[in-house]
Formats: sequence, structure tokens, C-alpha cells
Amino acid sequence: MAEEKEQNQAAESKAEPFEIPVLPLQNTTLFPETVVPLAVGRQRSMKATETALSTEEKLLGCITTKSDGVTGDEARYDDLYRIGTVVNIKRMMRNEGVMQLIVQGMDRFEVVEWIQDEPFLKARVQIMPKLTRVDDEEIEALKRNIQNLIQQALALLPNVPPEVRMAVMTQNDPVQLAYFLASVLDLGVETEQKMLESGTVDGLLTLTHASLARELEIMQIRSKIATEAQSEMDKSQRDYVLRQQMKAIQKELGEDDTGEKAEAAQLRERLETADLPEDVRKEAERELKRMEALPQSAPDYHVIRTYLEYVLDLPWRKSSPEKLDLNEARKILDEDHYGLEDIKERILESLAVIKLRPDSKSPILLFVGPPGVGKTSLGRSIARALGREFERMSLGGMRDEAELRGHRRTYIGAMPGRIIQALRRVGVNNPVMMLDEIDKLGNDFRGDPASALLEILDPQQNNTFRDNYLDLPFDLSNVFFIATANQLGPISAPLRDRMEIIQLAGYSDLEKLNIARQYLIPRQIKENGLTEEQLEITDDAVNLLTARYTREAGVRQLERTVGNLARKVALKVAESAPPAEGGVDAASADGVVEAKFTITAKEIKDYLGGPRFYPESARDELPAGVATGMAWTEMGGEVLFIEATSLPGGSGLTLTGQLGEVMKESAQAARSYLWSHASEFDIDPEIIKHNGIHVHVPAGAIPKDGPSAGVTMASALASLYTGRKVRSDTAMTGEITLSGLVFPVGGIKEKVLAAHRAGIRRIVLPAQNETDAEEIPEDVRKELEIIPATRVSDVLNAVLEKERSVPEGTSFVLPGAETPRDQGDRLIAKEKEV
Amino acid sequence: MAKSINRHFQFLGSSKQVKPSGPLWLPAADVFQTPEGWLVKVELAGVSPEDVEIDIQGNVLYIAGTRKDRSCAVAGFSYHQMEITYSSFEKTLQFPAAIEGARVEHNFENGLLIIKLWKQK
Repeated sequence: MAEEKEQNQAAESKAEPFEIPVLPLQNTTLFPETVVPLAVGRQRSMKATETALSTEEKLLGCITTKSDGVTGDEARYDDLYRIGTVVNIKRMMRNEGVMQLIVQGMDRFEVVEWIQDEPFLKARVQIMPKLTRVDDEEIEALKRNIQNLIQQALALLPNVPPEVRMAVMTQNDPVQLAYFLASVLDLGVETEQKMLESGTVDGLLTLTHASLARELEIMQIRSKIATEAQSEMDKSQRDYVLRQQMKAIQKELGEDDTGEKAEAAQLRERLETADLPEDVRKEAERELKRMEALPQSAPDYHVIRTYLEYVLDLPWRKSSPEKLDLNEARKILDEDHYGLEDIKERILESLAVIKLRPDSKSPILLFVGPPGVGKTSLGRSIARALGREFERMSLGGMRDEAELRGHRRTYIGAMPGRIIQALRRVGVNNPVMMLDEIDKLGNDFRGDPASALLEILDPQQNNTFRDNYLDLPFDLSNVFFIATANQLGPISAPLRDRMEIIQLAGYSDLEKLNIARQYLIPRQIKENGLTEEQLEITDDAVNLLTARYTREAGVRQLERTVGNLARKVALKVAESAPPAEGGVDAASADGVVEAKFTITAKEIKDYLGGPRFYPESARDELPAGVATGMAWTEMGGEVLFIEATSLPGGSGLTLTGQLGEVMKESAQAARSYLWSHASEFDIDPEIIKHNGIHVHVPAGAIPKDGPSAGVTMASALASLYTGRKVRSDTAMTGEITLSGLVFPVGGIKEKVLAAHRAGIRRIVLPAQNETDAEEIPEDVRKELEIIPATRVSDVLNAVLEKERSVPEGTSFVLPGAETPRDQGDRLIAKEKEV
Repeated sequence: MAKSINRHFQFLGSSKQVKPSGPLWLPAADVFQTPEGWLVKVELAGVSPEDVEIDIQGNVLYIAGTRKDRSCAVAGFSYHQMEITYSSFEKTLQFPAAIEGARVEHNFENGLLIIKLWKQK
């Protein structure tokens, strides 16, 4: 009430227009009901202020300039708004030429007319009516809304004392509240001016509300950003501290040179000097750039580093120099391996092609043969002959395609495949690479490594071999691939088709003797610390070792046995040495043992015990119904016996001895053939009809299969039916057909060698296999009588003895005749009578 | 209080040191109870008696006026520093009992306005 009265008085007292000095304000608007500090420094403004101070009431008009660019000294009438605020100067201090004022906003005024602008602005103004408080619901609502917004704003500011909140909340006069907020918030001159000019309470409040709402929103965003920035900063600060600590630790460990920059720089240097194909360089460049952009702690950093190191390590264009002297190569092959003439010839042919056309695709060879025949060492010799690096990898049991071709880099712990790893190891792109045991590749749900080999081993495709890890084409066409296998069977046809197959059969006894003499014995003597003077093994003894102590196509067991002998001799030598005062050194000094150990066939037993194997053909004579066949195994050849016996009065054909389907069928074919041609072989078909047959093939625990026992089956059955024995010095092999033809079979050399070892001297072979027979070493062949056969009748004529040895009717029954069963019954009756 | 609001609002980015003005200049006043009635002293140095208005309503004494700077009009003077407030003022004083109808006397004494509210005899 009193307030109103005072205000009315003020308004009344200035009801008429009056003159007042004017202070132009920049960037700010002065509102009534506020106390504001002002700094006045410009000449014109200071003059206006001094003029105001020299009046009794110390009143000054404050008007905002319309645009920022105009300073207090420059502002003309047009630059100023027409509505401003009359202020009362409450304090004035001079400080270094600037007037510091504290002014209190009183009333709004409107310029009626400008009086002057020099030396200071002066205008005739009219006081505008105060906005009087109206108790209106709308205004009350607006006011409460504003207070609500303020409350929200305060909530965003931490540590605001509750009394501050109270002060704003308890401000009853909405006009004062609005003016206060308008001066406090940075709303911009235009909005502020609009609020100042607002002639009604609700207009003012609406403006305030809108501005405050906008301000609150900005505040909320700001505080959000601030919070985020804060947490971001916390994290990066933490990282920074940890990294500094890590650096300190690395420095302590003396590893500070391997900082990430140094690493990347090293890689870049290597990349720039490396001899890379263009596309590889581009890819490597890209990866390196990515790496440089990554912090060392990023997981990708190390992935890329490993990758780049791999790429840079690979011999993209580095080859070992070609030194190819065919005579030298022949010498090396002869040095390393005894015999194997054909194979050496094949190898030399391949080398000759490489010599004549260095850019030709390297051949891909496949050595097939039993263990211990020297497939792997042949590969080594080839590398030596070519002067190239040698790298061997065993594919046995490999079942994951990724092992060959690598894993894609997306996987954790991804690595390139074995091929690329091997190339990195050898460091050149033209090594001799041996893929051992290619027949023992596995495959499962993870993939089929054999299929990956199809690409690797194809000279047309492997010049752009793409490892999954590298994902870059690598030229494998200079790699000399040699695969080895014990069997051709498990190798898929397309894979076989890509390789030049070279068969290594087993060695004959003579070859083994020579190998032992030239390689095995000298090597074992050396390995066991003996000298040639201390140990001699006679040829007889070696022959006994090969025949009775080992059974193999190769020479591995033989070497072990020789080693065994050498060790035992070494023990004796060491024991008989006089105790010398220097210990071991003195013992190995020369002249320690003068004694020479000569091991002959007789003494073998003393060293190694009794013989471990007996030749398969220990049977000097075969009963009727038994025939000698020859089989091929991974270990070389074997001699096997097929036994047939009649089941008088029984029926059908019983087959035992773990026979496979093909072998069973060939037994059936043999029987059917004999039955249908019974008269031709002087057999009574009635016997076949009324008697069962049992065929057994020992050893019963070893599975056997294949068609090559056909002729042996036929011989055994014919022998049984006719009562003529099969000659015990004869072995046979061959497939038969129902029409009585003999078809060729494989593995002739191994089979014949095994038969020879077993003491057999007559061999019946399919006529079409005669060419294979030429591969049999001369020393063996000349001891053998080889009989070619085109028809089953040829076989039977060759193997059956001319005379019956079993009287007719002893093992068979015929209808009408007395059956063995009747006889049995009679015997039982007799026993009862007794 | 206004100051602390101000301080917190400064956080918002406002550089303005604005305070709500609140009531105008409030001169200090002492009130005595005497056997004759009430005695009021108001600190109103430099205020001309003719610029002061006194009013009584019920139990409220209302004093208002303006301090005008009458010494400044001398030629050649100019302010170097100004700390005395020259503006209108107001003061309302509440009394425990109605004072309407009291005999009012006032005079200036050493810059103090003395108001006597004597009970009617």
C-alpha cells in the first residue's frame, strides 16, 4: 500500500515530460526495480553522468543501443531505442578515469524528443506508467510456471542454498520477478528490449516464461554436455596416467625404444625397402596407415602388426639362385640312395626340363611306396641337387582345411596356413616342399584339406594362391612340390590327376644288402661311436637280418636292427677298455681297443636272440585244397595261403579270414567257374552240387580285400575238387572273370619280391602284367621262373601236380553213396552195443 | 540473499551483476517508549524538512520523502566520488497499539528527524 503510494507519487511527480541526460547502453538493458553496477568510460557518457550527478535527484536515462557495433560515443538518435529506464545514481567512484556507478532502476520512460547529442545525449522524456500488479488468475498461473522453471533451473545447479530458492519463490511481485530474471538471463538485446517495452503484466510474464523455458533447455543441454565431457575427461585422464606408468615400466625394463611410433616407423621403413608386388604393397600401405591411426592399446593394433610383419617376411620375389648341373644332381642322387634307377631317371628328366626352361612350372611329384624305402630322403636329395631350400610338412591326420589355407583375420589368434608359414620359414619362393603322408589326410565337418590341396597343387591355379589370412595372391608356381604316400587308394582322383606318380616298390634282399653295406652299417657305426676297424658285419649276417629279424619292404627296421647290434658291440668295446685316468676322453682315444668284432650269421643269435620271423613259405608241401597267393600291403608284399576244405553233405560256400566283399565275390566267381567248367577239369559236377565248401585265408585277424586272389582261389578249389596238390614252389596272383579270363593286377614288384623272400621260385602272373615283371630287380628275376597266364586253365595247368594224391571219394559224398553221417550213426550204435 | 542468487546465476553464463532493488532506501530508525507516548528517531541527514512527509494510519507510522542534493548546483563543482544516496525513501513503523489521534511533533536535530507521538491529554 505504501509502496503503491510511493510509486504513484513518483509517477505523479514526473507526470509532465522533462529533460534528462541519456546514457547509451551497449549489449544490455536496464530494468526498473533492479540495482546494477555500470562502468562509464566514454567522454560523452561521462558528461551525461556528471550532468545527472549535478542535479538534485541524480536521475539519468538509460537507453540501449540497437546494434552491438555502435559504441557509446558514436550512437546517434537512430541507433537508440525510444524506450529506456530512468535510474537513480546511488554511488559513484572514479577509478583510473572510469566512473564506476551503482544505479537503481526506477521507471520506464519514452523519448518524446531528442534535444541534443553533443556534448552528451539529452532528451525530453515522458515517464511511462508502472505495470501495476493485477490479481488475475492467468497472471498467477504464469508466475507459478515461471517459479517452477526457476526451480528446475536451480536443481541443475549444485550447492544452491535453500534460502536462495526461497527468495525466488517468495518474490510475490511478478513484475519484479520478471524484471529481475530479464536482467539476469542473457537473453539478447532484442528480447530484453521487448520485455522492457511490454505494456501489460501478462505480456511481460509470457515473454519471461518463454525466455526462461528456452534458457532452461539450453542449461539442461549444457549440463548434460558438461557431465559427459567430465566423464570423458576422467576416462582419458585415467588412460593417460596409466599409459605414463606403462611407459615408465617399459623404460625400467629397457623396452622404451619399442614405442608405437617406433614400431610403425620400423614397419614403414621395412615396407619402403621391401621388394613387393604392386598390389601387395598397396594393401600393406593401407593396413599400415590404419595401424598408425590406432593407439597401441587397441586390439586391432597387434593384429595388424602381426599381419604386416607376415606380409613383409614373405619371400614375394626372393628365390634361391638356380644351380642346376645334371651330372652333379645325378651324383647327389646316387650318393644318397642306392638303386632306384628308374626313379632317379624320372627325377633327372624333370630337372632337365627345369634347366632348359627355367620359367616352366615346377613339376609336382608323388612318391608312392611302403615305409622306409626312402621317399622323404629322396625329396631332400632333390632339394640338394637343385640347390634349393627344403621344407617338409606332414599332412598325416590333418583334418582342417584352415591348416593349409589359414584362418581369416577376423578370428582371434588367426594364423596363415602351413604353406605360407613354411614359405616364411624358408625365406625363398622356390623351395622344394614335401607334403608327407598325403594319403593320410583326414576330413570332417571343418572342411576337406584335400580340396584345398587341389588348388595348391594345380600349376595352372597356384600362381595366385590366396591364403585366408593374407588375403593376397601368392605365387606358388615356383615351389617344387613333392608329395609322398604309402597308398594311392585314399588319394582322391582329382588330386592324383594333378601329380606325376612315381612308384617306389620295396627293395629286394640284394638291394637291402647293398644298402646296408653302403649306408646303414657305416652310419650306425658312426652313430654309436665305433670305427670301421671295430665292427664288421658279414654279408651272411646281413642277409640273415633281413630274412629272419625284419619283415619290411623298406630298410628302417633293418637299420634299427643294425643299430641294435652296433650298440651291443659298443658296450663290449667300452667294457673291455682299460680304466684310463682321463675318463671318457682317454677311453675314446685310439689304441684303446685293438679287438675287432666281426659278426657273422652264426653270432647273430648271441646278440639278438632267436629269429623273430620265419619265412612264410615254411610249408614244404601243400595238402590238396591249399594254394599260395601273393598280396600287396602298405608294408610291401606278402605271401598268403588260401585253404579250402570240403564240407561233405553240406552246401554253399563259407568264407572266413576277414575277407572283404571283393575277395568274397572272387571266391564265388572261382567256384562258379569251376562248376560250370567241371568237365573241362575232370571234376564231377555232382560233387560240387552236393558238398559244401569252406575257404579260409590266414592270418585270420588281418582284414584282406581285393580281386587279385582270384586265381589263387580257383587253384585251391580246383585242387580240392580234383585231389591234385598245388605245387608248393609256386605262387600266383591275378583277377579272374566268370568266363575264365585272367586280368592284370597291381603291386607286381612288391608281390614278387615277397614271394622271392619266402623262397618261392615259380610265379604265375597275368600275361598283361609281364611288363611289370621287368621292373623286378635283375638279381631276383634271374632266379625266378615267371609263367604268364591269360586264362584260368593256363594257371591250373601250371600250378596243379599231374597226379592225384588224394584217392577219389575220400572227402566228398555223392547221392546214393553211404554218407559220412550214416557211418557216424553206425559208430554210435556200435558204442551202444559195447 | 540476493547476492547469492546472483552468484549462482552467474554460473549460467550471465556476467551481469544485477540485484533486485527491493524496497528503496530505508533509513534507520530508533523507537522509544516514554511516559508521554512514543519517541522516534530517524537517520535522515541532509534531508530538508519540507521534503519529508509523515502519515499515520491505525498503528502504522509512515515516513517518506526525498533527499535532494542541494549543494551540487554551485558552478565549478563536480563530483569525484558519491556515496550518499540521493533518492526518495520510505519507512514504515508498526506500533503495538493504535497511534491514530496522537499529537505529532517533529523537528531535525543533528541530522536526525525526531518525531514525538504524544498521547492526547
